[in-house]
Formats: sequence, C-alpha cells, structure tokens
Amino acid sequence: MFDLFHNLGLGFGVVFQVSWWSPWWLYGLSLPVSINILMCLIGALVGTLVGVLPGIGTVATVAMLLPITFGLPPVGALIMLAGIYYGAQYGGSTTSILVNIPGEATSVVTAIDGHAMAKQGRAGPALAIAAIGSFFAGCVATVLIAVLGAPLTKLALAFGPAEYFSLMVLGLIFAVVLAKGSVLKAIAMIVFGLLLSMVGSDIETGASRMAFNIPELADGLGFATVAMGVFGFAEIIRNLDAGAEMNRDLVQQKITGLMPTRKDLIDSAPAILRGTILGSILGILPGGGAVIASFASYTLEKKIAKNPSRFGRGAIEGVAAPESANNAAAQTSFIPLLTLGIPPNAVMALMVGAMTIHGIVPGPQVMQKQPELVWGMIASMWIGNLMLIIINLPLVGIWVRLLRVPYRLMFPSIVIFCAIGIYSVNNAPVDVILAGVFGLVGYWLIKHDFEPAPLLLGMVLGPLMEENLRRALLISRGDWSVFLTRPLSAGLLAIAAFLLVLTLLPMLRAKRDEVFTESEN
Amino acid sequence: MADTMGHSATATRNTSVALGFFVLAIAPQIFELIWSIGTIFGWAAGRGPLQIVAAHAAALVVGGPAALVGGDTKKASSDVLLALIYSYPLFVVAVLTIFMTIRSAQDYVGGIVLMALALFALWASSDLQGMRGFSFGAGTAPRMFGGLLVALGAAIALTGLLTDGPAMPHYSWRGPLLVMASIVFFALAIRPLGVVVTAFASFLIAAMGTHETRWIETIIVGACLTAGCALLFPYVLGLPMPMFPRFLVQ
Repeated sequence: MFDLFHNLGLGFGVVFQVSWWSPWWLYGLSLPVSINILMCLIGALVGTLVGVLPGIGTVATVAMLLPITFGLPPVGALIMLAGIYYGAQYGGSTTSILVNIPGEATSVVTAIDGHAMAKQGRAGPALAIAAIGSFFAGCVATVLIAVLGAPLTKLALAFGPAEYFSLMVLGLIFAVVLAKGSVLKAIAMIVFGLLLSMVGSDIETGASRMAFNIPELADGLGFATVAMGVFGFAEIIRNLDAGAEMNRDLVQQKITGLMPTRKDLIDSAPAILRGTILGSILGILPGGGAVIASFASYTLEKKIAKNPSRFGRGAIEGVAAPESANNAAAQTSFIPLLTLGIPPNAVMALMVGAMTIHGIVPGPQVMQKQPELVWGMIASMWIGNLMLIIINLPLVGIWVRLLRVPYRLMFPSIVIFCAIGIYSVNNAPVDVILAGVFGLVGYWLIKHDFEPAPLLLGMVLGPLMEENLRRALLISRGDWSVFLTRPLSAGLLAIAAFLLVLTLLPMLRAKRDEVFTESEN
Repeated sequence: MADTMGHSATATRNTSVALGFFVLAIAPQIFELIWSIGTIFGWAAGRGPLQIVAAHAAALVVGGPAALVGGDTKKASSDVLLALIYSYPLFVVAVLTIFMTIRSAQDYVGGIVLMALALFALWASSDLQGMRGFSFGAGTAPRMFGGLLVALGAAIALTGLLTDGPAMPHYSWRGPLLVMASIVFFALAIRPLGVVVTAFASFLIAAMGTHETRWIETIIVGACLTAGCALLFPYVLGLPMPMFPRFLVQ
C-alpha cells in the first residue's frame, strides 16, 4: 500500500515537474512551465478534436502525430499520445449526443440514447453525465493501473518464452472473439497481419524475407505506415463512396441547463459503476478495448433494466454506462503494455512504436528501470481526465461548430496531413506510397467485410510471437509439448481454446451477433 | 423464365469472376513486365521487357509442367517456382469457378484473393532456409503462416459457396483513384519541389476525388492549409523538410 502512494507520488512529481522558461521578450524574467502538463493538455485537446471529427480515427491520428513526438522527451511524448487516446473517447461522445454522428467507433452506442435525450432538449444533462461517467471511470482505471502494475510485473518476470507465446495466442483469440462479424474472417486477418510482419530481415539469421531487393522493405513494413493506410486513407476513400455530403441533423436549439437533475444522478450512478467495472475488465484483456466495452455495457444495461423499452428513447443509463466503459477500457488497456510489453490493441501498438523510437523497450523491465516514465504517464492520465471534464463542457459549442466544416474540405486536408506525417517518420517518400497502397488494401478489405483491427494486432504481435516461439523450441530442443507441459502456458492455451470453442457454439454466436447489431437498429 | 434469366445472369458473372482470377494468376508477371518498361529508359536495372515475357512464358508453358512431371522442384528457377506455387493453383481455381454456383460473391472473391496473397507469400519465401534440425530457419515461420492463410482463404471461399450472403460489392473509382494520385504525387514531388508546392498541388488533386468540390473555397482552404503546414512541420516541430522547389532555391 505504501508502495502505491510512493509510486503515485513519484508520478505526480514527474507531471508537475517545473522548468523555468525565460523568453527574450520578458527581459530576464522567467516563467514556470510544466512541459508535461502542457503535453497532457495538448494531447487531450487534439484527442477531443479527433474524437469530434468523424472520418478520422484515433489510430490514424496517433500514427500521424508520431513524428511530432520525436523532438520531445520520452515522458512528454507518451503523455501526449495517451492524452489523444482518452481524449478521443470524450470527444466522440459529444458529437454522438448532439448530432447523432459518432466521431469514434467507441461512441456509436452512446448515440442511440444520447441523441434521443438531445432531441428532448436534455442534451445538457446527457453531456454532463457522459463527462462525469468518463471522469469517474478514468479515476478508477488510473488507480487500477497503479494497483495492478507492480504485481503483474512480478508475474511477468516469471514468464518464459513459452508463456509469452501462449499469452499472445490468447490475446489473438480474444481479438477474434471480440471482432465483429465472421470468426473465420477475423482469424484470416490475424494470419495476414502475421504474414505482413515477416517482411524484412529476419531477427536471428538476418536473411532478407519477402523484401524483393527493395531497400525500403529491408527493414520491414513500418507499423505506422500500414496503420495509416488501413485506418486513415482507407476510411477516406470509403467515405467518398457515399458522397462527401453527409447528412447531419444538427441539434439547433441552444443547450440549456448542463446540470443533471437529482433523479438523473441517482439513475445513472449504478450504470456508471457497472460500466466502469465491465470496461476495466475488457480493457485489460488483450484484443479487447474500448469499442467492445461500450457495446457490451450497453447490452448489459438493457438486459438488467426493469423497463428495457425506455432504451433508445433517451434513457440516461444508455449514455452513462457505455461512456464510462469506453473510457475505463481505453485506460486499462495500458496495463498489458506497461507490465507485459504486449500491446492489446492497435493504439497501444503505436505506443510501442513511440516507445521504441525513444529507445524504450516495453515490458516488465520498464517499470523497474524507468519508474518515472511509467508512473508519470499514469499520473498524467488522472490529470488529463480532470482537464477534459473542465475543458470540455464549456467548449461544446466550438466542437459543434467544427462539425459544420464540410467533408469536401476536410478530407483533402486529412490526406495531406497524413502524407506529411508518414513522410516525416523516416523522410522516405516510399513510405507514403506504401501507405497509399495499404489504403487501397484497406478499402478492399472493408468492401469484402474484413475487419482491419485484427490485421494490425497480428502485425504487431508477429515478430514477438515468432521470436518467443523460436526461443521456446530452442530451449526445449524442438519439443512442441513444452507449451502444454509448463503449467502457466498450458493454462493460457486452455483458456484460448475454450474461448474459441465458445465462440463457435451456435447459441453463443447468436448472442455475440446480437451485441454487435445493437447499434444498427 | 425468371429462372433461366437468373441462371444466365449468374453464368455471365461467373465467367467475369473467373476471368478476374485468371488475370490475378498472372498479375505478378504482368506487374514485373510493366515495371521493366523503365529499363528501356534506363530508370531501373534488371531484365528488359522482352526477356521477361520470354522467361515467364517459358516458365508457365514448359518449365512448370516439366518440373511437375520430373518432380524436380529443387533446381527450378524462381520464374518456374512462381508458376508452380502461385499461378497454377489460381488457374485451377479460375477454371473451377466457371462451374460453381456462387452464393455470396463477397465472401468467395474475398477468400480467393486472400488465398492468392498467401500463395504469393509462399513463393516469396521459397528461397529462404527452412528448419535446421529443431531450430527455425528464416523461412519456417513465413511458410507456416502462409500455409495457414491459404487454408483460411479457401475456407472463406467455401462459405461463399455454401451459404447465402452479400453479392459482389460495388467499387467506385473516382475517390480511390484521385486520393491515390494525390498520395503518389506527394511522394514523388516532396523532395524536388518542397512542402509548399507539393502540399498545395496534392490538396487540389485529392479535392477532385468528389464532384461536390467548389473550386474557390477549395483553393482558399488549400492555401491556408499549405501555409499552416509550412510553418508547423519545419519550424515549430523542427522536422527536416525542403520548403521550396530545388531549382528556385539554388
């Protein structure tokens, strides 16, 4: 317990670290500036902006902003990227409620009841509850990361290559179970991702694999490049299909009375609590994340409600639960990354990229060797959440006005930003073309109903999986049974197999489909 | 009447799908051929177009069958291996497609294309070393995952044959083409022409991706965005990037 406070204290110390800034125009006077607080604020604001704007997702933004963080100290860079991630969860809810356009996939379900509330003139309370729920969930998740961090790190140190491999298999299976649509297609996407990760030179032998003597491929496909293509460009191309003019029924009347009534608070408190718990659990699980958390918690609320027919007509629980769940999940998904070094979703995979750029290898060692980095980031999340709740509500008007920017002007801007972003990662024009090609690939995948998220997860885990598989087999002298004879590894694989069987059972499959179709009707 | 019409409609579509697979089966060869045109102008090194046509034709028509009959694939050249590993299986699929009733073209085509990608990866990793005793060679993992993806692609295609589902999706060409053109232009022009010219021109090309573009506002927004980028990236963020065209600076 003492450790916990000590660690959090260290973290807050890092965040509030003050440096003196003396610009020439102050003639020798110095101003105290906390760079990390500033980074946190920028990250949260950019995240909210991204969350508000439909057509550009969190993954593409984080990929786009990676080069911006090159010049920053590692702590500041990670704080900013984390801010973008949870900031987007806030921003997405704002537009869902006000204009019925979910800016992010995570707030799709919020739109159902949130927009219904807005139509009844209760947009204020809906926004307030979403913010309060998110803040509460953010606080709980921050504490959870702090509490679970140290013990999980100890556990991770007991992991050998066999356990690591099994854990990643489990993560990928989770990604399959939680992916939308066909299980077979999700598995195929993962394997496709694994295959893409093999391009480039082999870690052990140094042999060039599937690189066709193209020098730019010798180092492998950049993860940011593929992510930008599949999530950024592909999304734009697909949106253009439907025509640039999207139908936007803005809520025109003025938002009056932000404060929720006493009844609203009493109604939503248990929903927030349930959403937070469910979101935290789903966030920790590899392959999970914020999207599935919001869907699942909405379904749960509807199931346990006394009068389910209220849902879809402005039930405040339908806003409170998914909003708390997605924020909780967004934050707890840092746990596997910080403790085990395994990214549970695409955004976390980009965080791995950001860490490696700064010379940090994610994994259990980070927490011991660079505690100020990890705890600084954790502390910044709490501060970021506080900032968001303060900033966001007054800024609602500005966000809504931003939505009036027509897509025909927005999409070329996004294309240019993405292109400059990718170019500046390696100063390589080929990367830009590769991202474009993956944009077309992503468009094709969307058209044939393949989910791109498992592909990215497979691509990130590919090298780690291969390395651990090879190492495990080398240690066991080629004996494949090592994965089953080591108890931890066997346990993890058993869970994975169990999950896969569960998903394939027809009865549960129907349930799973129901969760995903919830948003569509 | 309706039945026969429906039948003939699927039959014609099946042939076009099969034709598509046939083209896909020789797509790498065609791509290499197009790429090699550059050698005529001295842009790229390697085999010339005529050599490529001759080599691939020989591999497809003579080399492949010879290797199959002789069972001697160890010494086969890379062209022959491409024919054996990638093209022949897809030819078979293309021929089979003509006789199939496709119930969900979206799944069927999706599965087959994934299978083609996996076969291509198998070919690309065929020159790598496999297992050495009990330790993995460089080629083991790519082959493992490649094989798995072939199986999965086939399974997805099979579901497209056995269960009803969506038909072939409709692709539009304007958006993808112009966004892609804008990206390619950006990549080619950023070094010689610098941020200012490149960003503005790419913006305009991308804006053509939709017919709803109004030119005056697009040019104004594009100019503002270019100015913003020119300030933000090189100055504020300190990323090394040429600003103006090379010939103007010198």
